[in-house]
Amino acid sequence: MTASKLGSRLLVAVVAALALLWVAPIAWMFTTGIKPAPEIFALPPTWIPQRPTLDHVREVLSRWPFLRWALNSVVVAGATTVLSVLVSVPAAYAFSRLRWRGRDAIFLVFLSSMLIPLEVNVIPLYFLMNRLHLLNTYPAVFLPMIGMPIGIFLLRQFYINIPGELDDAARVDGCGNLRILWHVILPLSRPALAALVIYMFTFAWNEFFWSMIALSSPQMFTLPIGLRALQGAYDIDYGVLMAGAALAVLPTLMLFLFLRGSIIRGITMTAHK
Amino acid sequence: MKRRYGRTVEIALFILPFAAFWILFRLGPVLYGFFISLYRWDPLGDAKFIGARNYLNLARDPRFWNALVNTLEFAAIAIPLIVGIGLVLALFIFAGRKRRVTTWLEAGFFFPYLLTVSVVGLIWRWLLDPDFGVVLITLRDMGISPPVFLNEPRWAIPAIALATAWWLAGYRMLLFRAALEDIPDEFYEAARIDGASGPRIFFSIVVPLLRPAILFALVLTTISGFIVFGQVLIMTAGGPGRASEVLAMYLYRFGFEYLEMGQAAAVGMVLFLIILGLTMVSFRWLGYESSL
Repeated sequence: MTASKLGSRLLVAVVAALALLWVAPIAWMFTTGIKPAPEIFALPPTWIPQRPTLDHVREVLSRWPFLRWALNSVVVAGATTVLSVLVSVPAAYAFSRLRWRGRDAIFLVFLSSMLIPLEVNVIPLYFLMNRLHLLNTYPAVFLPMIGMPIGIFLLRQFYINIPGELDDAARVDGCGNLRILWHVILPLSRPALAALVIYMFTFAWNEFFWSMIALSSPQMFTLPIGLRALQGAYDIDYGVLMAGAALAVLPTLMLFLFLRGSIIRGITMTAHK
Repeated sequence: MKRRYGRTVEIALFILPFAAFWILFRLGPVLYGFFISLYRWDPLGDAKFIGARNYLNLARDPRFWNALVNTLEFAAIAIPLIVGIGLVLALFIFAGRKRRVTTWLEAGFFFPYLLTVSVVGLIWRWLLDPDFGVVLITLRDMGISPPVFLNEPRWAIPAIALATAWWLAGYRMLLFRAALEDIPDEFYEAARIDGASGPRIFFSIVVPLLRPAILFALVLTTISGFIVFGQVLIMTAGGPGRASEVLAMYLYRFGFEYLEMGQAAAVGMVLFLIILGLTMVSFRWLGYESSL
């Protein structure tokens, strides 16, 4: 008994050490961002900044439209999330609560488009957005992220497990499908909706390849593209680069510290059948 | 009869909003991309039908083969690394699930997944900087003389794969941890009563029951492995030379630097076919268990 208890303590200690090592790169980014230039390149490296400074942060915020990038990211990620939920909810309802011929076959077709990542489509999307005169606008970035199969997959998985008696009862009371969806299914599916919101927001917030192609003017950049522009300008001036990266990570980190449980639960749900 | 018709319309209306986005921005572009890949596009807007010429040009371009080999190398290193680390972390977290601190450890392993690829690339470029990177300095202090990862052709791709594993393994960890929690406790107890050893339990009970999760993780990771772009762009820009130029980067450069849109679209089709083929192979290999 004591041996196994000791074993379990030891395991936790090892895993904890590993976890510290795992987050060390993030800590290193934050400390580099507030070190003055000579200290960044000092040997041996200092783990705790000796003379912390906000010069790099000021440089990023004053020379670059950093806050505008953050705003752009919020708009793009927000629009992607809201529209994804709006189109996925009714479709998932039809694929789970209604019975009709060909339902599962059509669902499988939608689902298999998981194999068409955005990256594969960037050239045709560029042509398309050019024709629609949408290049370098928000919609160019968020429209292609909306029809992702994960939305209907995740919600359908959840809807299927809601007992059928609930809508039968509502149907007896004369409710149509829209009202059943609104009054019965939606209130019961908050966890799945939360999962979808978290997943889509993260996905859109981090999207890189297509955004880089669709957005050309610095005023329209999202954070990931803006950081790439910073790299182009500062090359190996790591103080400024890490300050920019840290500023971009800060909101994510705050949100994660507050909502750790729900974010992990939500993301787990997207990966779990 | 009339009611049936009304019902069909209703179902169609429920699906239509999603289907519209899906057709316009997901399926449609694949077909459009194939069409684009059959033409030579003049930057001024003229297009000339050239059949399979873009594909032949790819086949004849050593730079394309270099990018393909680099992508395969990246995938061959990154996919097992990401899935393997994810599985090991999940086993750790699962083993310690009764302790409160474990949820914090799990959060630590997961957090990098929430970072955008530019941040991941910038952090690792700095960590692996040949002169002042803390990883190289630490290794040198330990008496090891490490390669200057990002500046050495042989080491650039493995180093990028390592950074990618750090970034993505946390999501696979959550997936495997959830699958482990699904295995009823009785299975372990029964095995233990029968005197099965730890490794035996792992390979005879855990691995078979994790098959659907492993399949899903493999498909997911294969896709992200073959479309790798952002971390390469930031960490090495395809260098040194073209030692880490991957297919997505080749696509980007031909499309938006050399304005060979047709040839770039052809690369997109090749990428799509690779992903399709590999997914079918993994389904065959691991057996498709319908989750419908």
